[in-house]
Amino acid sequence: MKIKSKFWLVVAATLVLSGCSTSVERLDAQQQIDLSGAWNDTDSQLVAREMVDDALSRAWITKFVKTQGKDPAVIVGRIKNLSHEHINTNAFIANIERELINSGEVQFVASSGARQEIRDERADQDLNATEATRKEMGQEYGADYMMQGQINTIIDVDGTTQVRFYQVNLELISIKDNRKVWVGEKKIKKLVKNSKLRE
Amino acid sequence: MHKILIITLFVLLSTGCSLQQYHNNELADQLQQQKPEKILSTLQEKDPGDTDIAQYYLNLGYLQLLTGQFDPAIKSLTHAEKEMQSLAAISVTENVAAGTVNETFRKYSGYPTDRVMVHNMLALSYLFNNDIEGARVEMLQADVAMKKLVSGRQLNGQLASTHLLSAMIYELLDERSNAFISYQSAESILTQRKATLPEGLKLGLLRMSKKMGNDQQYAKYSQKFPSLVQRAKTNKQVFSLYFDGVVSNKVERTVMVPSHDHGQLIRISMPAYDKQDYRLQRLKMSDGQQQVRSDVIENIDSLAREDLDREYPSILLLTTTRAIAKYELVQRGHEQSSLVGTLLNIATVLSEIADLRSWNMLPATIQFSYLDTNADNVIVSSVNDIDHKISLSKGTQHVILTTSLTDKVFHYQQ
Repeated sequence: MKIKSKFWLVVAATLVLSGCSTSVERLDAQQQIDLSGAWNDTDSQLVAREMVDDALSRAWITKFVKTQGKDPAVIVGRIKNLSHEHINTNAFIANIERELINSGEVQFVASSGARQEIRDERADQDLNATEATRKEMGQEYGADYMMQGQINTIIDVDGTTQVRFYQVNLELISIKDNRKVWVGEKKIKKLVKNSKLRE
Repeated sequence: MHKILIITLFVLLSTGCSLQQYHNNELADQLQQQKPEKILSTLQEKDPGDTDIAQYYLNLGYLQLLTGQFDPAIKSLTHAEKEMQSLAAISVTENVAAGTVNETFRKYSGYPTDRVMVHNMLALSYLFNNDIEGARVEMLQADVAMKKLVSGRQLNGQLASTHLLSAMIYELLDERSNAFISYQSAESILTQRKATLPEGLKLGLLRMSKKMGNDQQYAKYSQKFPSLVQRAKTNKQVFSLYFDGVVSNKVERTVMVPSHDHGQLIRISMPAYDKQDYRLQRLKMSDGQQQVRSDVIENIDSLAREDLDREYPSILLLTTTRAIAKYELVQRGHEQSSLVGTLLNIATVLSEIADLRSWNMLPATIQFSYLDTNADNVIVSSVNDIDHKISLSKGTQHVILTTSLTDKVFHYQQ
């Protein structure tokens, strides 16, 4: 009888402890999962896609192609994080860059940081590469437009309930004359309810 | 009989975990005499108890900030902040344990002051790590935390130092409207507390109302602070924060009385603060032409006492309820046998411990001073009579952080 009760005790303890162990599940990167209500990869991807789609569907691009006879060259500049969260804007910028490049409707120029690295490489080639393979300085493709913007939030709190309102503003500015040719805005609103009880 | 022995053993063993709080308090007391680096290394050698995680990381993060380890400070303070956030909900099991054994069975979820102050310390860590945008995020989060805590007309968790720090950060980012609102919020809290406004805050209100072209407000503040209006135009701004002393630790007040029939001992332990014996010391800052003294923007020692005052009725209620429950348990033990009753009585007396946990390494006061200058350097004189010469040659806006606990001076410039 004693042995039996000890057996069930061990079984129960194993079951309880197994509930505390770490588990890993692979997920589809496109799957929408909201855990805390904070800005996440889904927001970043959705906003980048919708805003780039909007930017490329406006009149500025057709006007440019008509007058210049080529696709516009775009660069993504700084996107300021003015929100309540520590958002990695680099991930968001990477999403925008990907959407712009994959659209095939614009030329894309590397960011200032990446350009500097390439210039260093060209300077190195200038000294060390053969005449036939050397890439010359001064042949860079200059961008026509720069995309800049900011992420803002407004948070309304009442006890354990929060309304989180995200507003992403992007604008496309002509590098030649500082004209703004496109201004886009995307809003996301989330209602977050935290439990009043925990384990 | 076996069950009783197991309960007694469990209660006594778990009480051992509660003793950690006494070591933490000793360590905080040593901060007055020893360098933060030494206290930090002692703290790092300890493992945080499961119920003290937030307190451990709050102290750890603060010491890392004081020793100039900004990245680890951000990591530790963020950990503490997340832990406190997750503990905002009520735990039934912890409440049962707190109601039957003692309050230290409840996980430390931070007092209102801690929940806001953690953002101040995070913002400073980001700022001196040259990430002003990170500091701005923390100030916005502090604002949300304060909105969550505000109740009626009470100043529960409302910190003037947080608004002042927000105003400084907004001013550095040239967000004039936000800076002015934050200076006004700091003024409002200090006025409600009937505290003296620091001269640096008055200057901030004058400067921002003028910069924004808000003539009505500028006229109002000019009338209110006439001696500060006539100032020559300068090209550099120096914001100086000074952390003075260490906040008081809680102490245990215990009463032990025999029951009416002398059948058992009843122990009641409550947390309290000793009489305030903090001696305010100020920081001097001079550019050779003018000298300013730091003024208190936040008296954390008083805030900690207010936080306990606010919680006192519920602690008292729980302590007396627990005393009744323990009395009943020992009575039932005595009904079985006098040995069982005695064992249970020993366990209930030994397990009765007051919860003395708090963010006990914070400064006693946060002080602020401000200087408009054309000089290339300023001299900051701390209480240890050590003069620090700070170069202002790079940039036009400077934030300096000094503390009475270390000779280190942190300097942000842009």
